[in-house]
Amino acid sequence: MGEKFDISYVFTFFPKLAGTLQTTLLIVGGALLTGLIVGFLVALPRLYKVPVLQRISQLYASFFRGTPILIQLFLFYYGLPEILKLAHIDVSRAPVLAFVVLTYGLHTGAYVSETIRSAVASVDRGQVEAAYSVGMSGYQAFTRIVMPQALAIAVPVLSNVILALLKDTSLAFSLGVMEMTGKSQSLATLTNHFVESYISLALIYLVISIILERLLLFLERRLLRHESRPAEAYPVFRRERFGRLRQFFTRERRVRFREETR
Amino acid sequence: MIKLTGITKSFGRNQVLQGIDLQVEKGEVVVILGPSGSGKTTLLRCINYLERPNAGRIAIGDFEVDCERAGKKDIHALRGKSAMVFQHYNLFKHKTVLENVMEGLVIVQRMPKETARRRSVEVLEKVGLGEKLDAYPSQLSGGQQQRVGIARALALGPEVILFDEPTSALDPELVGEVLAVIRRIAKEGITMIVVTHEMGFARDVANHVVFMDGGAIVEEGAPKDIFNKPQEERTKQFLKRIMPEPAYSI
Ligand SMILES: Nc1ncnc2c1ncn2[C@@H]1O[C@H](COP(=O)(O)OP(=O)(O)OP(=O)(O)O)[C@@H](O)[C@H]1O
Ligand SMILES: [Mg+2]
Repeated sequence: MGEKFDISYVFTFFPKLAGTLQTTLLIVGGALLTGLIVGFLVALPRLYKVPVLQRISQLYASFFRGTPILIQLFLFYYGLPEILKLAHIDVSRAPVLAFVVLTYGLHTGAYVSETIRSAVASVDRGQVEAAYSVGMSGYQAFTRIVMPQALAIAVPVLSNVILALLKDTSLAFSLGVMEMTGKSQSLATLTNHFVESYISLALIYLVISIILERLLLFLERRLLRHESRPAEAYPVFRRERFGRLRQFFTRERRVRFREETR
Repeated sequence: MIKLTGITKSFGRNQVLQGIDLQVEKGEVVVILGPSGSGKTTLLRCINYLERPNAGRIAIGDFEVDCERAGKKDIHALRGKSAMVFQHYNLFKHKTVLENVMEGLVIVQRMPKETARRRSVEVLEKVGLGEKLDAYPSQLSGGQQQRVGIARALALGPEVILFDEPTSALDPELVGEVLAVIRRIAKEGITMIVVTHEMGFARDVANHVVFMDGGAIVEEGAPKDIFNKPQEERTKQFLKRIMPEPAYSI
């Protein structure tokens, strides 16, 4: 089976696979957006202990966290149209991609809701009371005091969710979506150079993952800058790498402020 | 100036405040003493409406609420009259020292940013933190954090500042610096209600001492009367336990 290994195929496949990257990123982006919105909405009843909705949101999270994403894809793609048919809604013409984004979105939303819930719970109650005592409303206390800190706590966890999402999108090809993995499959069958195709594919995932990881790490550092002595807390190489950006954000501002107070 | 009338509060079946009446004049420093669980924290929290009293009236300055009828607006107005300093500081951890103090001025009092900044810097200098404006709470000692807490309350310009055991979470060597700051602002004539176990502080700074037990005020009066010749048996017991030595040697 397969042709003799030829490294040059890895390079010729590379741009061809990269051409379908936008489909992969579309799924990631769409699912992430859906997931953040759904996750936030679903977290609310549990944060505010709304009787019935709280149970429903728990059930939702259990289902999407407790069953394989592949099964979820099949259930939504084959099952949802049947259910909607009962309500006389015809979705047989809807693009496959819509089902895929919806499924990944709800899947991600389950993790997002869990993350938000625990992040908000970890901001200590005393700060909220302090916010009330200076006269803030409940809304102001939530948006100005709780949210920013919860976000900082949530970002590392969300980073994992995003990276997992990126890799999970490779399962969308089982519904025939021509994203990267699907494309690599067809290139491989076409040329009989399987291994080269998969190497090329792995490389692209790796590069995207690394880029995403770096971006998220940077965001995390920014959001967590209040956590004990920022400068000393980071390893030296990071400090230098992000030095210039940090300078822009912190030192500049401080200088400006000193001038104003003078 | 501040007048509490018949404040009661229960948690479930446990009645924690049994109808508290208390009057505090403008510029007075009132120290509340009492054993653990006597309801001191709950009383302060009621004045700031962090707990909702079951009944009674709270008057601060020209504003008065009936606790059974208080709506959102009343609570907001009442909180605008008082400020609280917490045992565990409760600083906003994601904000710098300066931002902690400015937050209430800008967000709640809608002060222009520049004015708020100038006022905050001024107050922070007063508590000895003029050099720490851009530090985050995690970079400060407990004593410094509590002084930020005091600055945050002071900057709001409240009619009364409520202190709930402001030094009891501190290492012994840091207690002094915080008490010194509270002493200093007391001298400026700011009305304060202080729950504390620092008897030396109570004796020197208080104009009025209130002894609470079992959710009621057992005895109150000038510090020298309460410390030297307490009338009630419970007060005597409490003082003997907390200060084995006589308060004043003759
Ligand atoms: N949120 C609450 N829920 C239920 N019970 C409470 C609550 N807060 C306080 N209590 C009870 O109210 C009583 C008075 O508590 P409070 O904290 O006011 O006492 P305290 O005088 O401040 O004591 P300490 O000196 O230990 O701080 C205690 O019996 C406590 O268990
Ligand atoms: Mg207490």
